[in-house]
Amino acid sequence: MNPSSRTLPVTVRFERKEWHEEVERLDKHSPTRVRAESARREIEGGATTLDWKKCEAKGEGGINLPGCVKLYVPLGRQGASEAPFGFVFQLAQDPDGTLLWNFIAFGERHPENPRTRTVYERAHKRLHGRYP
Amino acid sequence: MATVARKLDLRVGELVEIDGRRYEVVPDKTGGLTIEPPIAPISELYENRGMKPAALEDFERLTADYPTDGEG
Repeated sequence: MNPSSRTLPVTVRFERKEWHEEVERLDKHSPTRVRAESARREIEGGATTLDWKKCEAKGEGGINLPGCVKLYVPLGRQGASEAPFGFVFQLAQDPDGTLLWNFIAFGERHPENPRTRTVYERAHKRLHGRYP
Repeated sequence: MATVARKLDLRVGELVEIDGRRYEVVPDKTGGLTIEPPIAPISELYENRGMKPAALEDFERLTADYPTDGEG
């Protein structure tokens, strides 16, 4: 088994505020939103093997996502055409010290429209308060 | 009848409210400005919840064998 395919030993959390800003900003019936909702159900259901990848602490274009990992959406797909979207999570700590993967961004990995922000740019803005 | 454009003197980071909805002024990637629904900074959200980013050591321990893809 690919070591990156195992289940992470910490909980994944989708907080209401982040979910609203990242996913519920989209039309309720849009295919993009439907895919995000489906992926979340799969993650929370625990039935899917998750292909986690580490984000770049110092990436191209000034995108800095230290402490973050990602999943391609739809889950289980790899190429940009098969999995055009992504979730980004930050490792966070609850007041009682419990570690969790906190969802921080959803969006396109490689948008065709050059004006559209990538999921990585959205995650950077969530972390740093401004786009790179 | 010609439409007269309203000129707005806005800066990156400012919030505007249109028809009851709030938007943030952000760069549009082509040298101009645009508005979009705001993205709340994680620091504010964590402060409200009593949360904080985990230590780098914890992150490295949990993701030591996780690949990167060079995308971001």
